[in-house]
Amino acid sequence: MTLAIEATQTPPAEAAQPFALELRGLSRTFTLGGGLLRRGRTLHAVSEVSLRVPRGQVMGLVGESGCGKSTLAKMLLGLTSPTAGEVLIDGRPIVGTAQKALARHVQPIFQDPYSSLNPRQRVAQIVGLPLRIHGIGSPREQAARVAEMLDLVGLPGRAARQYPGQLSGGQRQRVAIARALIMRPALVICDEPTSALDVSVQAQILNLLLDLKEAFGLTYLFISHDLAVIEHLADRLAVMYLGRIIEEGTREQIFSAPRHPYTRALLASALTPEPGLGVPDIGLGSVQPDPSAPPPGCAFHPRCPLAEPGCSQQRPLLNDTGGDGRVACHLA
Amino acid sequence: MPLLTVEELHVDLPVDAGTLHAVRGIDFHVERGEMLCLVGESGCGKSMTSMALMGLLPRRARVSAASLRFDGIELLDLTERARSDLRGARMAMIFQEPMTALNPAYTLGNQLCEALLRHRRVSRREARERAIYLLERVGISAAAERMAQYPHQLSGGLRQRVMIAMALMCEPDLIIADEPTTALDVTIQAQILRLLRDLQREFGTAVIFITHDLGVVARIADRVAVMYAGEVIETASAEALFAAPGHPYTQGLLNCIPAPGKTPPGSRLQAIPGVVPSLVGELEGCAFRNRCPLAEAICETPPPATHVGAGHVARCHFAARLADPARPPQPEVMP
Repeated sequence: MTLAIEATQTPPAEAAQPFALELRGLSRTFTLGGGLLRRGRTLHAVSEVSLRVPRGQVMGLVGESGCGKSTLAKMLLGLTSPTAGEVLIDGRPIVGTAQKALARHVQPIFQDPYSSLNPRQRVAQIVGLPLRIHGIGSPREQAARVAEMLDLVGLPGRAARQYPGQLSGGQRQRVAIARALIMRPALVICDEPTSALDVSVQAQILNLLLDLKEAFGLTYLFISHDLAVIEHLADRLAVMYLGRIIEEGTREQIFSAPRHPYTRALLASALTPEPGLGVPDIGLGSVQPDPSAPPPGCAFHPRCPLAEPGCSQQRPLLNDTGGDGRVACHLA
Repeated sequence: MPLLTVEELHVDLPVDAGTLHAVRGIDFHVERGEMLCLVGESGCGKSMTSMALMGLLPRRARVSAASLRFDGIELLDLTERARSDLRGARMAMIFQEPMTALNPAYTLGNQLCEALLRHRRVSRREARERAIYLLERVGISAAAERMAQYPHQLSGGLRQRVMIAMALMCEPDLIIADEPTTALDVTIQAQILRLLRDLQREFGTAVIFITHDLGVVARIADRVAVMYAGEVIETASAEALFAAPGHPYTQGLLNCIPAPGKTPPGSRLQAIPGVVPSLVGELEGCAFRNRCPLAEAICETPPPATHVGAGHVARCHFAARLADPARPPQPEVMP
């Protein structure tokens, strides 16, 4: 299989095609602690997120815990419905699409291969389940397709008869990948797919994900807190802070010239294996944001080393940077 | 004399299939005031080692060692009572998940003062003053008010700061920190690591920092011990380890992480093929040989501890060749 480098350049012809994934003003709120007579507080988990992912590209999504990454992923999978805005997959809105039909187009790979696989089913049953649900092929054809898929993800043939408990963490994640891809979805939501794995195994799984993307022309939304992994994999990158995208652009732009102070702090806090550099002072205070009570104005201003009085007054809009990127900061 | 000397430490656990040799005869030492990183992947025995040092292993575990000497005291000769007097007072521990390590039913002030009141002759008021002082030192604002709060009222980052303050209460000689930042966001991780490093230097505390993250190791370690399959396979200064690893496993681990500027984006990463061997039953020869690109027939015999530089020891038959910066070895790229 070839390297995925050429996929990083978008051919001009693709501009005419619909985006593999498009989000338009997507929002989701939750009500906290409401009662019969008392109105609860509103938690804005995701606010007005707009994003376009061209086909065959990898969009990295980064941000701290509680920033809304996982709620966003759930909406794309149809597991949570948005309060406002819409999700388009291949140019078609997913509103009204039955869960079963949606599952043919978009599939998830989750972080923990220990809890996302049924421990009482054999690998062949787990991977073949989507085919049975959708009634694709005869049992014999289904078995053949499962065997082919297991081979593609690098599992030995005997794995088909094993239970998840008999497999290593890396092998389980391969099973989860096989299950996600057996319906040949166009879009795969990878939610921290290598975070629970050991370093030596993580490299194997990242290589596999790159190979499969190339082989099937997949589009990934890749959620991770590991910036080295994102930099290695992603063509574009979106940074979220308290439910909003605060910066978005190509990998080169964001890693070489981040505009938002939060993006800069995030990149500075990535500890690359270079001895002698010490631990950087990233200049954020010890205050952690509370998603249910976001600060007024720019939500980042209480931690921002550059904040000015105006930053607590008005929320900055996500504006084009002039290049192929967007940033939401009064000072950028 | 080092603060802690570990010689031939073994930890065995009975399991259904026989005996799991979690730690298989390891040697290392910790100098006063230094940061030693114990690095390895899951199941390599790094947490079992720390639990053995603290005397906190499960009851069914069997520990043996030629020597487990802490500041001249043979730990394995001590009574349980005497071990418990050392814990918290002279050896403290910081765990990965502060929410499970802190007692949800007691206030922070209560938990912070507990060890000091137990181990030192101090008044409640003195204990409280020290707790507030340390909470301020770990960057917690309104420390006096925080004393009355419960763990659930704090964010994960703040809880870990409290754990660090708690570990420092009795001014211990040694802190064992077991993956203390793994559960935190990267920005919080950087802040906590910086804090731990600064306080460790200021108080002259020795720290055994257990982690699987080589990025963290590079940035905080004075020295590093790499573990694989229950053995320490390499020890070196942080600079030497990253510049010229003397063991193919260490080298493989370093090659696995995408290095910005060096690894072309989207290119294949070098992976270590295969899986860790089972630690149930006996292992002969080098435990890494089934995954090693350099393995030869000689690797079926136990690899010698080879000195490849000042304070740099690797357990590999080819260590001298590997660590020679003049001839960087080029193991085959595994598909």
